[in-house]
Amino acid sequence: MTPQPDILHYAVSVVGKDRTGIVSGIAAALFRLGCNLADSSCTMLAGEFAVILIVSHVKPFSKSRLYDELKPVCDGLGMSLAVRTLQADEIARLETPGEICLISVYGADQPGIVYRVTNELAERGVNITDLNTKLIGTDDEPVYVMMLEAALPDGQTPEELEALLGDLKKELNVEIGVRVVTPVAL
Amino acid sequence: MATQPILRYPHPVLKKLCHRVVTIDNEIHDLIRDLLDTMREGPGSVGVAAPQIGVTLRVCVVDVSASRHGKENNHGQLCMINPEITARSGTAVMREGCMSVPDYTGDVERATEITVRYDEPGGTERVITATGFEAVAIQHEMDHLDGILFLDRIVSLKTGLFRRKNYR
Repeated sequence: MTPQPDILHYAVSVVGKDRTGIVSGIAAALFRLGCNLADSSCTMLAGEFAVILIVSHVKPFSKSRLYDELKPVCDGLGMSLAVRTLQADEIARLETPGEICLISVYGADQPGIVYRVTNELAERGVNITDLNTKLIGTDDEPVYVMMLEAALPDGQTPEELEALLGDLKKELNVEIGVRVVTPVAL
Repeated sequence: MATQPILRYPHPVLKKLCHRVVTIDNEIHDLIRDLLDTMREGPGSVGVAAPQIGVTLRVCVVDVSASRHGKENNHGQLCMINPEITARSGTAVMREGCMSVPDYTGDVERATEITVRYDEPGGTERVITATGFEAVAIQHEMDHLDGILFLDRIVSLKTGLFRRKNYR
């Protein structure tokens, strides 16, 4: 049996004012280094463009080599750069058991919506796997929208969770909906 | 007849446009038995299309009766030869996974009610109206006959609808 080469993994995050050429600039540097993009998420957050990458490379390779190659590219684009080495137990994603649901929260903007909702979920053992927020509405009447994807602990139903969030819904005067998005196998 | 291995993308057969069945002969009956055996063997599988086992003919099988999503509302075991959707209405998004694209799921918008005309293995033409999960499953399997995978119909990757189980 051919021995598998050891693969190193790094988490790379780049944030800065949006402009043309950010993704291609970073991707070009990674390509030059012979890195693989194992996973990525690049999105606009207000006027900032945020890049999160999981990068892999066959040994021998080093974090400093990756950083040294990316730093001038990010400096040229006016963006911040952070690189972190991932340990073996951080690489494999464990499948979260339990029902997957989408929790939508929206209402008049106010401080604490994210904290209060996510705190309730954490106390109930609900594991958040994805979270997006957006400020919509008008300058006079801003509306905060949050979409969470989460795995419910065994035995908890989406209906129960929605009911449990009822008090918070009243207190914050926001809408909270929970619906199942568990994948179907076809 | 026997369970057949499911082809996985990027196998080129999965992107082919399948041919219409001209004559329903023993070869087609054997193919349907293989599809049913393969569907029964697949964990939680509710349908298999001929190209998934390497045959580029317009044949697929669907049975959602054992699935919790479809057990309340189904036509039982469907063996469809040359299926055609003649009417569709409503839309809903469901997160789909596929045996030919393992480890991935994606949110796909499908019609919630469809009318399908197809030939049965005995040669009789049948028309059914399917709704809910059964309608989704039929549309998913029929897409395979046109070389379309659910990846071609992903609504959005924005909210992490496209996960890998691990990075290796």
